[in-house]
Amino acid sequence: MDMNEIKEIFFQECEEQLAELETGLLALNDGDDDPETVNAVFRAVHSIKGGAGAFALDDLVGFAHVFETTLDCVRSNVLEPTKDVIKVLLKSSDVLADLTNAARDGGVVEAERCEALVVELKALANGEAVSTADEADDAEATPEPQPADDETGFTPIPVTLDDEDGDNTNDEGFMPVAFSFDEFDSDETDEAAEGDVFRISFHPKPDLYNKGNETLLLLRELETLGDMSVRCVFDQLPNIDQIDPEGSYLSWVINLTTTQGEEAIRSVFEFAEWDCDLEIVADQVDEVEGDQLDDVEGDDPLNDAVVDAQADEPAMTASSDAVVDDTSVVEEMKPANDPEPSADNKVIDLKKAAAEVERAETKEKATARSGPKSAASSAQSTIRVELDRVDKLINLVGELVINQAMLAQSVVESTGEGSSAVTMGLEELQQLTREIQDSVMAIRAQPVKPIFQRMSRTVREIADMTGKNVRLVTEGENTEVDKTVIDKLAEPLTHMIRNAVDHGLELPEIREAANKPAEGTLRLAAKHRSGRIVIEIADDGAGINREVVLKKAIDNGLISSEANLTDEEIDNLIFHPGFSTAEQLSDISGRGVGMDVVKRSIQALGGRITISSTPGKGSVFTLSLPLTLAVLDGMVVTVAGQTLVVPLSSIIETLKPEQEHLHGFGASGRLISIRDGFNPLVDVGQILNFTTTPSDPLTGVALLVDSEDGGQSALLVDAIQGQRQVVIKSLEANYSNVPGIAAATILGDGQVALIVDVEAVVSASRVGALKSEMSLAAVG
Amino acid sequence: MNASKPPEPRHLQLAENLDLTAVAPLHENLTSMRGEDLVIDASAVERLGGQCVQILLSAHQSWAEDDASFQIENASENFLAAIALLGVEPGDLHVTEVLQ
Repeated sequence: MDMNEIKEIFFQECEEQLAELETGLLALNDGDDDPETVNAVFRAVHSIKGGAGAFALDDLVGFAHVFETTLDCVRSNVLEPTKDVIKVLLKSSDVLADLTNAARDGGVVEAERCEALVVELKALANGEAVSTADEADDAEATPEPQPADDETGFTPIPVTLDDEDGDNTNDEGFMPVAFSFDEFDSDETDEAAEGDVFRISFHPKPDLYNKGNETLLLLRELETLGDMSVRCVFDQLPNIDQIDPEGSYLSWVINLTTTQGEEAIRSVFEFAEWDCDLEIVADQVDEVEGDQLDDVEGDDPLNDAVVDAQADEPAMTASSDAVVDDTSVVEEMKPANDPEPSADNKVIDLKKAAAEVERAETKEKATARSGPKSAASSAQSTIRVELDRVDKLINLVGELVINQAMLAQSVVESTGEGSSAVTMGLEELQQLTREIQDSVMAIRAQPVKPIFQRMSRTVREIADMTGKNVRLVTEGENTEVDKTVIDKLAEPLTHMIRNAVDHGLELPEIREAANKPAEGTLRLAAKHRSGRIVIEIADDGAGINREVVLKKAIDNGLISSEANLTDEEIDNLIFHPGFSTAEQLSDISGRGVGMDVVKRSIQALGGRITISSTPGKGSVFTLSLPLTLAVLDGMVVTVAGQTLVVPLSSIIETLKPEQEHLHGFGASGRLISIRDGFNPLVDVGQILNFTTTPSDPLTGVALLVDSEDGGQSALLVDAIQGQRQVVIKSLEANYSNVPGIAAATILGDGQVALIVDVEAVVSASRVGALKSEMSLAAVG
Repeated sequence: MNASKPPEPRHLQLAENLDLTAVAPLHENLTSMRGEDLVIDASAVERLGGQCVQILLSAHQSWAEDDASFQIENASENFLAAIALLGVEPGDLHVTEVLQ
């Protein structure tokens, strides 16, 4: 595994940590006061900092350090996480994300933005924390801390760093240290480099010795890198009569302070790395009080250690001594840290078991510090697999499905109905194939949560820029959908959210004047509905100004001035490519700019987008997307000699039209009455330009389909061939986009069949003005 | 590897070079002395490897379990430097007398 791969994994883990960070901050914002939430937030930033340090990503390390320090103040109850504080923290998490992205993809984050936040973060920490630290000569001036966790006996107390009497521990013998950023400045990372502390856990395997390597020599070389303290762990050592002389039972915990970075450490183990368990955790300790900071940073595992050994008084005392005595920190902390190596090992073991393809050391940098508990629970049941591998599997399963269909068809063709044993076997095969397919699809299914989380950032930014107060409410974050869909959803969704805040919601004063709360609400909801995922973006803003939209559409020649459009049709005009609303409503571009792009991306996903708007109350955009882009259940039909597939999810019922139910409508329109209502009869062959002659409804079949506006239409086709699951083959990827056609598939007989985009066909039949858009070249 | 045999306690003279090749003989020697009070002379040790330290630690642990005495005396500087580098405290091996 080369450095780039390791780095890539680091960035993947950064994404997870950033999501964790944001979730935690949002939870705090909503009033969550669980100390574990603060810890999780702190750990996320700390992990990113640790990993970034290993790759010498100085900007990231520098910012993360300030951020982390402020979070530490929150964690130690020195800084109250008020809404204002969390606002700064959320902005910082955005910058941290940007810095991470910049580190990965290149590019820079505006220095002013970082600096401004650094100032804010420092102010937060200094205002609350350092002032108390400054007064620490006067012990009484130190605010009484809130017990963080009675059970563990852990009580955070802010103390000064230069307290020399060493008597600043609490009754429990342990305290974290609140510290100042005064040393922090732009070249702080260089200073940090001088004091980087690495905790190395090294367990040689027998092979290490067999291959002529020697622990002693490795340690000797390591010692040349900086200040080192070593502890030999021999609790696994058997007695002399049970020991394998050539076995390896000892392991070592090494604390190394070096300026040469993790890479130098790894290079020491270069020839031994396959023959040992090696774990290097960067404790990015900086500033002159390195050892004390080490203690602060170490309080996470230490805290866990204390939990594990509640009654272990000597351990606690040892740790408190460590705070006082700089030189003995590392050594003195050992008793309290005893449980740590095993806990860490456990984490790594779990990781390894879960992700065999990765070397343990690639994980630990960013994850080991995230705390044994959370890491264990999240690592236990997940593996990281390259998407390509899953895609390959999905493609193969797709081929299997096609093959199975072909096989079934040839059996029927060659033996008539086939023997019952063969038929049964085929049915079982079909069922199995189906199950495999479902399982494979489930691998790709991901909750929409990460993308929703990203939206909360978009909302914050646009709200800040526009001076609006916006509350984002998300629902159904755990709704799962295919990874491809998720990936492609981010952009259109961001666009729509941006539009909703920018143009949908009004300014606070306008809202108040309209008797609405000053804070606008944006609701982002996901749910499953009849085999599709439906995402709603609803704002409680002013709604679409239909007069303006209609006027604009007429001016732009999109519709004739005589056209009598329903409200819904007017709203839908904003999705039209020729519709520009640059002069509309505000100085900034109005709602509608780019919505055609949004619509196109959604359609490319086999999805549909609809809008409903109530003046004064707001607008709701509804996206309906397939759960997967790989397969669909379809009805195979014949239209003008062509075989087409209509997605089953859109079909409500099928019927044979009868004369008395058919009615003419206008010049060429036809309606079919079904029970109580009249529905437009859509001649699919004509709409898709397969034929110019209208089909005879009496010889054909009508498929009653749902359309997004809530209405229904009847698609007229010549005949139904059957119903089956088909593997979707993208037309865009293999040919080009064809209006009215969503994709293609290969049938059992090897024939290519087109999959109908029901919504597109229905709307093409309905809005005459848009009909010219539809021009399908004959596809053979 | 020479083991002198005074009546009590048993004495073991550690070899000069306690690297990979010395592990098996050391183990064998120590196993044969199990249960008896033991004084190990480390004055000649020039090189000491991880696996020999492992054997010594295991022996120390076994002797403690047997309630037999186990001492390393006259430890050479190299011996002490090696165990220090390996993070082993002299007390972990009951190193009593240091060769000046």
